[in-house]
Amino acid sequence: MAQATTTTTMAIPERSLFSWNRMWLGIGLLSGWYILVNLYERAFAFTKGLDYTSPEYQTYWMNLLLAELALEALAFIAVCTWLWVSRDRNLENISPVEELRRYWNLGLFIVVYTVGLYWGASYFTEQDGTWHQTVIRDTDFTPSHIIEFYQSYPIYIILGVGSFMYAITRLPMFARSFSIPYAVLVGSPLMIFPNVGLNEFGHTRWFMEELFVAPLHWGFVAFGWGALAIMGVWLQACPRVYELIKQVYLGKTATSPSKVMEEPEKSVDPAYCEV
Amino acid sequence: MQQVAAEAEARALERKFDIVVLVSMFLAILSGFHIHQMLTAGDWSFWIDWKDRMWWPVVAPIMDITFPAACQAILWTKFKAPIGATFSCAGLFFGQWMNRYWNFWGWAHYPLNFVFPETLLPQAIVLDGVLMITNNFVVTALIGGELWGWLFYPSNWPMIAPYHVPVEYYGQLMSVADLIQYEYIRTSTPEYIRMVETGTMRSFAGGVLGVSAFFSGFCSVIMYFIWWYFGYFFGWTKFIKHSKV
Repeated sequence: MAQATTTTTMAIPERSLFSWNRMWLGIGLLSGWYILVNLYERAFAFTKGLDYTSPEYQTYWMNLLLAELALEALAFIAVCTWLWVSRDRNLENISPVEELRRYWNLGLFIVVYTVGLYWGASYFTEQDGTWHQTVIRDTDFTPSHIIEFYQSYPIYIILGVGSFMYAITRLPMFARSFSIPYAVLVGSPLMIFPNVGLNEFGHTRWFMEELFVAPLHWGFVAFGWGALAIMGVWLQACPRVYELIKQVYLGKTATSPSKVMEEPEKSVDPAYCEV
Repeated sequence: MQQVAAEAEARALERKFDIVVLVSMFLAILSGFHIHQMLTAGDWSFWIDWKDRMWWPVVAPIMDITFPAACQAILWTKFKAPIGATFSCAGLFFGQWMNRYWNFWGWAHYPLNFVFPETLLPQAIVLDGVLMITNNFVVTALIGGELWGWLFYPSNWPMIAPYHVPVEYYGQLMSVADLIQYEYIRTSTPEYIRMVETGTMRSFAGGVLGVSAFFSGFCSVIMYFIWWYFGYFFGWTKFIKHSKV
């Protein structure tokens, strides 16, 4: 290995570059919001959410549905547009410290995405299981569907696609090539939301009974598998992170960003992870 | 001196990235596993009166060996971390309990001893142990897969046995589990929708459970193979050039 012989005068980056704060902010906002949503459900699902034809239902639940769908669409467009417009147009010359800092940001972004995924795919999805036992539904837009399908799923989709946009606009590894596991990690849970279309069509037209394991629900299952691709994403990113850490802190040579952009697969070598 | 400080900083940053990787993997695998589990084996998991000796010990192990096998395929082969099965099952356990407690009980007021989930942790530990000792996924599939099926009912029996005590209720014989579901009304799960053993003219009454466990062990072996390779796919590190997309 060609070792950089220059003395390691490279300044050690400030610790504040690698702060947890933004992650706690993201998790706090997201989980704080969802706790409020839980309180809203407990306050208004049994009192205003049992009869779709009642005027209270329109006020307390259908208006919530319309508002959240509009806000989510706006947020999705805003996040993606901003990340794209502010993209780094000079990735070949990114400094190692800056690249490392962006990997850290991406890591925090992915953590917040998986927290959103937890609330959406685990918490609110199984929550729907209990609401199904509480009402015999008279609409596809039950209180728990309004939260589960039309709020928690879009929110984690915005976070997932947002993190993907962050990676392709700011990191050499993901900028010029399409990462298959990352596309699966973000795209497959994303498809859970469109699959609601099949689900609701089926329930409206064919099956009213709530067998939770009904084959009609298996589309959600197949798309849920995509979450496993987080293993592939980290297998791609981690070697580069280790390589950068060694470059920044220990003065070792590392692959240049332009080379990483051209041939990202060569930077996915576990040998870089050896301490 | 400066070199030592720089190395310490580098190690500290590596540990921070480790935490990011572990937490995000735990939550992502939890979510995927939970949605898979609840929509393929969920009904048996939700209710004590669905936890029978014919369908539950068949469906649950077969459907739940999936994510453990996929996680093992990556965590063991890439990191020699013998925690793939336990990691995913602990995630599932967390997701289920959060929901049963806050929602089934906290929101809809079904008592917890009606809606507690099954446990997979003993089998997961065995599966991880077999892989660690043998370092061979074929052997793990054959032995670990069978054990996964066999151990499911014994490890859950201490939890469900109290609900199988018989009671006489208005002249009818019921188990306590039957009585609980009779008392706590589920609007959308009528009795006939429940898939439990009802007896057939072709079965021998005494042999139900052992045969079910054996069958589910066999199916778990096959599922383990399939999902091990699935795990490889999800740990695939390929890129496609933009010009080819």
